[in-house]
Amino acid sequence: MALLRAALCPGLTAQMVPLLRASGVRTVVDFVSSDLEDVAQKCSLSYKALVAVRRVLLAQFSAFPANGADLYEELKSSTAILSTGIPSLDKLLDSGLYTGEVTELMGAPGSGKTQVCLSIAASMSLGLKQHVLFLDSTGGFTASRLYQMLQAQAEDEEEQLEALQRVQVTRVFDVYEMLRALQELRDSLSQQVLSSTGPLKVVLIDSVSAVIYPLLGGKQSEGLALMMQLARELKMLAREFSLAVVVTNQVTRDSSAGPLKPALGRSWSFVPSTRVLLQSKEATSEKTNTRRIASLAKSPRQPTGIQVVLDVGSGGAQELSPATPTQGL
Amino acid sequence: MQRDVGSLPLAPALRARLVAAGFQTAQELLDTGPCGLSKEIGISKEEALEALQVVRQECHSDATQTAGAPGTSRKCTALELLEQEQAQGFIITFCSALDNILGGGVQLTKITEICGEPGVGKTQLCMQLAVDVQIPECFGGLAGEAVFIDTEGSFMVDRVVDVATACVQHCQLIAEAHQEEDHLKALETFSLESILSHIYYFRCRDYIELLAQVYLLPDFLSEHSKVRLVVIDGIAFPFRHDFEDLSLRTRLLNGLAQQLIIIANDHKAAVVLTNQMTTRIGQSQSTLVPALGESWGHAATVRLIFHWDNNQRLATLYKSPSQKESTIPYHITPHGFRDVQPPAVTQNPEGTELNPRKRPRREEEK
Repeated sequence: MALLRAALCPGLTAQMVPLLRASGVRTVVDFVSSDLEDVAQKCSLSYKALVAVRRVLLAQFSAFPANGADLYEELKSSTAILSTGIPSLDKLLDSGLYTGEVTELMGAPGSGKTQVCLSIAASMSLGLKQHVLFLDSTGGFTASRLYQMLQAQAEDEEEQLEALQRVQVTRVFDVYEMLRALQELRDSLSQQVLSSTGPLKVVLIDSVSAVIYPLLGGKQSEGLALMMQLARELKMLAREFSLAVVVTNQVTRDSSAGPLKPALGRSWSFVPSTRVLLQSKEATSEKTNTRRIASLAKSPRQPTGIQVVLDVGSGGAQELSPATPTQGL
Repeated sequence: MQRDVGSLPLAPALRARLVAAGFQTAQELLDTGPCGLSKEIGISKEEALEALQVVRQECHSDATQTAGAPGTSRKCTALELLEQEQAQGFIITFCSALDNILGGGVQLTKITEICGEPGVGKTQLCMQLAVDVQIPECFGGLAGEAVFIDTEGSFMVDRVVDVATACVQHCQLIAEAHQEEDHLKALETFSLESILSHIYYFRCRDYIELLAQVYLLPDFLSEHSKVRLVVIDGIAFPFRHDFEDLSLRTRLLNGLAQQLIIIANDHKAAVVLTNQMTTRIGQSQSTLVPALGESWGHAATVRLIFHWDNNQRLATLYKSPSQKESTIPYHITPHGFRDVQPPAVTQNPEGTELNPRKRPRREEEK
């Protein structure tokens, strides 16, 4: 819905814009959808010129066709599959996080969402030497825990500290702050000036529901608009800059005994292309239960419903090993 | 500057009008200017000016941060955060087992929620923490102050006197044992009176008072910069009645949670909430779960559940970003919240729980 401006396209002159505006044609959409004959009479402009402008505008604002072969080439060159550092989760995600996509982790309180996020951050920054942006909206980011995970994966202290520096944490406690942080990210990525740091591949958002929930419910409905704004921003970032975006979400129940379902409702369910549900494993012995079941709820590649077992014990989320997890700090 | 109009913190009605008038980015709004804007979408010039100020503020901070300026304190690398975390210390509970499972005590900048049945010791721990946060730095404390927001009327000042006296005595014992100068000096000001005068008590009778208090708290905390602990004893109580519209309740609660996280983060304070338990009726059996529903469970970063096992009080760490789940026993003595010391219990008959009214409840439940 761009405004009509003089320099918007060739043929649209500075004299035409005020005339059009006077007859109620302000935006490109107004212009394209109006009856040109009518407009030509009202504004006493040449019908021919208007038709020409319309053609140029349509060409300018239409999507450019691309063929499948080109798309495939582009996909091969721009997409990376980033290992999460958790072999069983990689298996669930078909070998890792795909750039250009939004992946969602959902689960009840204490089901290990933040642990998996921290674990991904650790393995990205340490193993793959990638920069990570962590948007924390719940205050759950705990640097000492991340450090503990890094220590379990690398011996060299220098390496651990470097990895910590590659993780950028931004605390955003409402949706506007989150949108602003994403906007900043977009600006800095498009200007290629992510300061002295290297290229960014992963954005983790823990959690998206914490900032959306205070706007939903009651009688107001602007929350939905902001939610979709956020959704659009995330998808655009993921696509345009080949980022892997990971968001966490809560789960709710319809009734107190109903099955778990993801929060934020139907319209959000179209946003993430992959959804993983985390659940605590039914505890046989009450003590130190660090095992979680991850099951795939939505995926463009894998059959849904497959499950793997994770261990969110001391060394970070990892595949279940036969040995019992070692003592945490 | 290319920020989408839809993502600006403006009133929803105004935003809708801007979008309808064809504005797409913040830059376009700024270029139009207040007069143009007021003409364009039919609002008064004052309103237009106000809206543009909001936009400019948003964009200004964009510009400074992309230029590499220090920006807000909320943006940093994990390394800086680790240094902060290691420097900031904990509020100890006087129960070493509980401190251990929490990783050193109640953490600053985080929300800790304590859930439990009536009489299990939630308020006791809150009062203990309100005293402990004031322990002078040379004794390993934080020398802070406490805000206590009480919704249930369960704050008992005579009990705080007991706990505070015991705490001062404890510090005196340490000082006598070590005979260090700074200890003695700190003790001169660390007295029962000073402890009591640095607990700021607010009584909120319904949810409106509670919300108002929490939203006003940042101002209070800027004036009292030493506050390191905010207790809300009974977050659930005002929200468990008088609500017909449950979705409004969820909305208010989630807003409250975000506000508390902002307080915890900006003022380097620990936020401690207590919550009640409720019964969830399942197919085969019913279980006790924390009140306020599933989504509230995400609000707190750390969640402790207090429960009974026969005559023993147990604390279970249910959720924490840095520590694993575990259960420990604890004890409530006349001096406050303490470890269970098996020989001490038999030697010390007064080491049983304080409130005799609440004892029969336990027997019923068995």
